[in-house]
Amino acid sequence: MSPADQLTGLDFVTEATARERAARVDEPAWLLADRLDAVRRFEAVPVEPNRLFTTYLDLRQVHFGELTPYDEVADAAAETGSLPAGASAFLHIREGAVAGRALSAEARAAGVVVDTFANVLRDQPKLLGEILEGAHTLPDDDVFAQLARATYAVGALVHVPPGVQLREPIVVRWSLGEAGRALVSRTVIHLGKGAQARLLEEQRSSLESGTRATADDRQSLWSGTCEVLLDEGATLEVAAEQDLGPDTSSFITRQAAIGEAATLTWALAHVGGLLVRSRVDNLLEGRAGTVRQAEIGFGGAAQTFDLTSYTHHIGRDTTGDLLSKGIFQDRSRGFFKGLIDIQRTAIGTDSFLGEFAMLLDRKARSVAVPSLEIDQPDVRRAMHSSSVGPIDENQLFYLETRGLPPDLARKSIVLSFLEPVVARIPLPEAQDRLRELLDRKWDAGRTALAA
Amino acid sequence: MTLTQREQVDNDRSRFDFHDDIVYLAQTKRGLTRETVEEISAFKDEPAWMRNFRLRAYDHFLKRPMPTWGGDLSHIDFDKIMYYRKPSEREEKSWDDVPEQIKKTFEKLGIPEAERKFLAGVGAQYDSEVVYHSVREELVKLGVVFMGTDQALKEYPEIFQKYFGTVVPPEDNKFSALNSAVWSGGSFVYVPKGVEVPLPLQAYFRINGENTGQFERTLIVVDEGAKVHYIEGCTAPLYATDSLHVAVVEVIALAHSKVRYTTIQNWSNDVYNLVTKRAHAHEDAHVEWIDANTGSRLTMKYPSIYLRGRGATADIISVAVAGKGQHQDTGAKAVHLAPDTRSRIVSKSVSKDGGRASYRGHLKVSPGSTGVVASVRCDALMLDDQSRSDTYPYIDIQEDDTTMTHEATVGKISQDQVFYLMSRGLTENEAQNLIVQGFLEVFTKELPMEYAIEFNRLVKLEMDGALG
Repeated sequence: MSPADQLTGLDFVTEATARERAARVDEPAWLLADRLDAVRRFEAVPVEPNRLFTTYLDLRQVHFGELTPYDEVADAAAETGSLPAGASAFLHIREGAVAGRALSAEARAAGVVVDTFANVLRDQPKLLGEILEGAHTLPDDDVFAQLARATYAVGALVHVPPGVQLREPIVVRWSLGEAGRALVSRTVIHLGKGAQARLLEEQRSSLESGTRATADDRQSLWSGTCEVLLDEGATLEVAAEQDLGPDTSSFITRQAAIGEAATLTWALAHVGGLLVRSRVDNLLEGRAGTVRQAEIGFGGAAQTFDLTSYTHHIGRDTTGDLLSKGIFQDRSRGFFKGLIDIQRTAIGTDSFLGEFAMLLDRKARSVAVPSLEIDQPDVRRAMHSSSVGPIDENQLFYLETRGLPPDLARKSIVLSFLEPVVARIPLPEAQDRLRELLDRKWDAGRTALAA
Repeated sequence: MTLTQREQVDNDRSRFDFHDDIVYLAQTKRGLTRETVEEISAFKDEPAWMRNFRLRAYDHFLKRPMPTWGGDLSHIDFDKIMYYRKPSEREEKSWDDVPEQIKKTFEKLGIPEAERKFLAGVGAQYDSEVVYHSVREELVKLGVVFMGTDQALKEYPEIFQKYFGTVVPPEDNKFSALNSAVWSGGSFVYVPKGVEVPLPLQAYFRINGENTGQFERTLIVVDEGAKVHYIEGCTAPLYATDSLHVAVVEVIALAHSKVRYTTIQNWSNDVYNLVTKRAHAHEDAHVEWIDANTGSRLTMKYPSIYLRGRGATADIISVAVAGKGQHQDTGAKAVHLAPDTRSRIVSKSVSKDGGRASYRGHLKVSPGSTGVVASVRCDALMLDDQSRSDTYPYIDIQEDDTTMTHEATVGKISQDQVFYLMSRGLTENEAQNLIVQGFLEVFTKELPMEYAIEFNRLVKLEMDGALG
């Protein structure tokens, strides 16, 4: 099949849709122009822009034809819902509505903004333009990034002014899964000079945990972005925990522009969903910028995790440290595609890319393509490594000699393989929830196999 | 650097850059048409099946688009290339019968010397035909067949037809189709059951004549329990316009056999070297590709081993040196199709003076291939700020019972090591030279001694001017 056929049925990315979305919230001309530019790019770019990875693209599980996008995300003008314990800000979007919005007094006083584009355009008309106008915050060559940029029904802005250091994390939650619906969104995160923040992004099923949408077996979809802009010396930690329902596919494009001496940490956990396609582009533009990324995928049943990450070293003395780990049960598949790109200007780069997978069942499959393109030899370090294997027999033996039953020993090894990412989730409750999630996933996988 | 230091570098490329004026007795017109293909087949008086094979390949070549990945192939003009050229009418059996001018060329390459050293057999290719071929009587007695591929088609039609094109079909890729349509020359080796060939078989290859395509085809069949080491090395004269070398090498290692195939590729820097090399390893067979690429303008070559039988093992050592204006897009593929198979890939690349070295590898474990153990290691060394290095490993595992590890590092030459060696009295260039030779030793130590010496000399030549 040709790559273009993989998007069969996806017909809502049109100029008409873009104009209609912009008109609903009375967007300024530059934002409409941005949408229209995205429509043109969407039509022009291939489904997988990097020829290195075209062999490993398979979106056939997604039934684009049965999905109807939300036209708008309704919002109550006043704050709704309360802050989760220990958080400084909260934004919850559930299907086609804002379900919760709250900001701590401390954050509000510091000028922190966590709100929808529509509200920001109304309350602080210039702010969004200052951050976004003319900025390339998404990869030009990515079809799903352009899909979101062209037709998003809701945009979320997180803005932390220069010098503001937020101790408590910001929580952004997406709940969806209604049969036949697609939610298209953008998230933009901007940290001013020297600002510090932590963000927890949760993607959850809006239905009863793990159940299907009654008799209606149509799929659902979330297409979103996370566009990060870090000014000089800013520090951001982003943790994302995805536990969508079994009929929901998710397409997420993340891009970070990392300024001088700025530091970004990603901790990304993919657990739920039917097909998950994630792309992260880290642009280390400023001198001495750093990105650390840890990503896990825990697949079961017929899930597909298509996880791409790029580290673009552009400035001098930048550091990239990317680690991806996957556990694949049953017929699940993991495609880990990575590229370290060290450009001519990037003298003194230190970059690592690791892709490690454990296959637990005969029909599971893992593909790793950890690539390197090095145009500047004056590096501190450039290396990648990968491995694929079953559970280590020696570790199993060790735990069994300590009295653990074989199944518990296996479970412990698997969960501890993923722990490095879990440990990076900022809120203790969120950490525990992810551990429980992984725990349940393991049990469900074993039960399914025994059945 | 002072002049004295400079003079210590072996700078004499003329030993490798030479060509002679030869009167060609039979040659095709430039460019590729259906008639060219038929003409080649007619020149060679081939059976109908081979003629049809060529035409089938030609049709596929036309249909197949040019690859858009890898190196820049846009400068290849298929219409400017001469697809067949025959330097003399018959295959020569003894050295004395070889025409004087061709002999001189071989003397520069050191072939008679190699023979004195009791290397098992000599197959020398001058342009598109094997002109000199001697097989030691010992090998004949063992039943080993080592001859030109064209001759083998006539003398061993049964073995030939059984295996030819089974490992690399014409439809495999654009260039295997081209080779299948116009192939000429190359070596044919058959080692009968249980026979161990005691010394390496070697063939030298030469391109001569501007814009001569070299489309040799090598077929090696190693029967059950047999063992052989085959060596090819090549040098070519320098020319201003582009030359094309498109070869296909097929190796069939039947059950319990052992095959090692060693290549030292040193085409001149105007040659496009686009080679498909593949081996089938049957039950408990062991196949090794030992592959070095120092020459050519662009090389795209990924020696492959398909592990088809239980317990088969594969070793691939791939080394590349990319200098000024060169792109070495090399690598290795191991495809595990049977249980308990093992593979090991080691790749080392050096880039300098703006050269580009790319590793492109594929490791695949198919469903049902249980108990596979595989490892991939690639290291790259860059000697200056203009050079570049890429790594594209593809690792596709479809069996849970696989143990696979992959590691890669890229770095500059260590200034500490250079300093240490210079403090011992070496010049900077000598120190770099030594470090590069050490880096490539994993390859060099697998070579017979005289090849190791020649290879180190080639590296030294390539290294000349590394410090400007």
